[in-house]
Amino acid sequence: MDGLQIDTFVFAPLAPILGLLLFWFIQLLFIENQRYMLSKIWHKHEPLCRFTNFLGILYQTICHALGYTVTRSGISDFVISVDYGKVAPKKEKKGVFEWVSNAFLFIGPFFIPSLLLLIYFILLIDSSAFSFPTGHYDSFSSGLQNFGTNLYRFSEKFFVFLSNIDFFNPLHFGFFILLIIVGLGIRPSYIGETKKEKIDMVYDLKNVKNLLADKPLYLLFLFVIAYIVFYISFFLEHGWYVALFSFLGWLSIIAIVSIIITQAIILFIKNTDELPRPWSFLPYIVIPLSYVIMRFALFFYPVDFSNSISLIVMILSTILITFLLLKYKTNKFKTKKNIKKAEEEDDKEEKRKRRRSTKE
Amino acid sequence: MTRKKKEREEDLLRNEHIERMLSPHPLSFMKLQSLCLFLIIWGVFVYWLVNFSDWKSLFSGSEWYPVILWGLILLLVGIAAWLMAVRFSIFILYLGVFAGAVGLIIWQNWEAASSLFILVYSVAASIVGFLIVELYRRSHKYIISNLRIAFKGGIFTKQERTVRYDKITDINAKQGILGQIFGFGTIIPITQAGFGLGSDKSFAAGGVELGGKKAKLFGLAGGGKEVQIPRARSYYELHGIYPYKEIKKLIENLVQDNVITPYQQEQVEFQKQQVDIQKQMRDLLKVQTKTKKERPAAALAKMREEEQEEEEEEEESEEQKEAYEQEQVDIQKQMKNLLKKQLEVKEDSSEEDEEEEEPEEEKKEK
Repeated sequence: MDGLQIDTFVFAPLAPILGLLLFWFIQLLFIENQRYMLSKIWHKHEPLCRFTNFLGILYQTICHALGYTVTRSGISDFVISVDYGKVAPKKEKKGVFEWVSNAFLFIGPFFIPSLLLLIYFILLIDSSAFSFPTGHYDSFSSGLQNFGTNLYRFSEKFFVFLSNIDFFNPLHFGFFILLIIVGLGIRPSYIGETKKEKIDMVYDLKNVKNLLADKPLYLLFLFVIAYIVFYISFFLEHGWYVALFSFLGWLSIIAIVSIIITQAIILFIKNTDELPRPWSFLPYIVIPLSYVIMRFALFFYPVDFSNSISLIVMILSTILITFLLLKYKTNKFKTKKNIKKAEEEDDKEEKRKRRRSTKE
Repeated sequence: MTRKKKEREEDLLRNEHIERMLSPHPLSFMKLQSLCLFLIIWGVFVYWLVNFSDWKSLFSGSEWYPVILWGLILLLVGIAAWLMAVRFSIFILYLGVFAGAVGLIIWQNWEAASSLFILVYSVAASIVGFLIVELYRRSHKYIISNLRIAFKGGIFTKQERTVRYDKITDINAKQGILGQIFGFGTIIPITQAGFGLGSDKSFAAGGVELGGKKAKLFGLAGGGKEVQIPRARSYYELHGIYPYKEIKKLIENLVQDNVITPYQQEQVEFQKQQVDIQKQMRDLLKVQTKTKKERPAAALAKMREEEQEEEEEEEESEEQKEAYEQEQVDIQKQMKNLLKKQLEVKEDSSEEDEEEEEPEEEKKEK
């Protein structure tokens, strides 16, 4: 036992909880950013935004229904639409059951879609290479270290997989599609046609705060359970406690990665919207074309990391083409002088055209 | 003026003008398109499974293994769709695709490259399927005019049906998730004749009703429930129209404009009665003028001969006059009663309106 007794028995159990909270806040920040970006493209891409709303409501209602199922309240009504979701229990249960079902509603959407993706990921990768989180610890700092190590080990495998993803493999392609779908919907906040009320990160946090403030005893009860589990795993010298929180941390990482990828796609859509037609289609054609060309080229001239190289070439060529189109087909990267020059040239050309037409 | 426009204008009735001309949204036939989509995805997956996956050794036993796997799943999906959507045609379609593939492989001896053949065949069949669905979609034309809705369609056999707004009793509107996302939906106008209503039948042991005959494949026991639901073929409903909300409102307004309210019905009855009375009056006047004309002619001819009878005639005409006057008075009384009734009805309706308005005003005040 290296740590002080007060550290071991009071602060150590808090380490993975704080670590998880940190990740959860990062997740919330990314979600808020995604909500902002989606609201920016709402007018031009209403169907896409409606689809993201539907996904968000779908996850939320499923989580709520799951909450009622876990608490054995039953489900009497289940309605999902693009802008509305409703789950009604068969039996109205009060107390702990109500609290648990509400916890599923507010916190579930942050983790449950990621859980599906994690299961898919575990099935995809070599199961022998996959290791479950472990780590027996006795102090706050070592708890944080173990939590971090578990997350690092998982992140390494996850990012290696992502950087080697093979779009010619239907299972990998399916994983990528699911990753985007999870990223688009992992957002309890609703984006509507009209802003009737402000629904954002603060609103989400308020819901969670209300849930906790409504029944503070239950929160205390949760902490007591957490401490008991920690003491049991500590005395039995097992890493169950940190493993549990590390597992939730994994889900958070998956959610963050999926949101980042989705945000990159939304940013790409937003930029291509600025291009005039038919140039706006070109970046969309470049994505599959560059990847297929690279894959075929590397199939005939094999090198190591062919999947990663193809991915990098695809991403870079798409960025480059989009940048060049934005530079030469829009005024985005032009200074005022350049814009003036371009306008003058346009005027001159118009005058020439008019002269020609009058002569004719 | 284009030929199509000319044809359309020739089809119009008197005082009719077109409000909207519509055709289904490209994604509104997603059920059919998803059949093609599944075919393409499954074909690509089988090709990958046989040639590039970790399980490719499983298919090394025979060249027919990929074809069997591909066909088996295809038929299973067909059966599942048949049972779930009660559409036998899906199973027949997949059976036809599978039989076509097997026939081509045997005929051309392509057993050695069966997996590649499956990929190419699936993609080709899907493209053909997509084209047929698109052709089918484009064959639909819905014309909403101020008097009626015309449903036109058919690839080979041209079908047409019109529904007048005054015959529409109910409007059924539905919008799926895809419709909610892309803003399209289906509107079924239900008429008094039952046009726009279909039925769902369920059987005790999973039998499937096929055009009145029960399929005995799974039907161990017959009987069941029949539920009338709004349903029509895509040619007889406004299938997958865009923009859904706008069109729905337009149709509801047009139906509303063509429906006679009870008050209007009463007014029409009064007008009918008025016309009858006026007719009676006209007939009476005709008879009066006729007798007046005839009377002097007869009097001149028989002036001298029948001087003695004059007094008697005068007495008769006075009697006739009295009779006519009596009849006129009766008709006038009828008119008076009718007008009274009309006024009463008007007053009643205005009182009802005031009563309806009052609470609204009270609410506003509150």
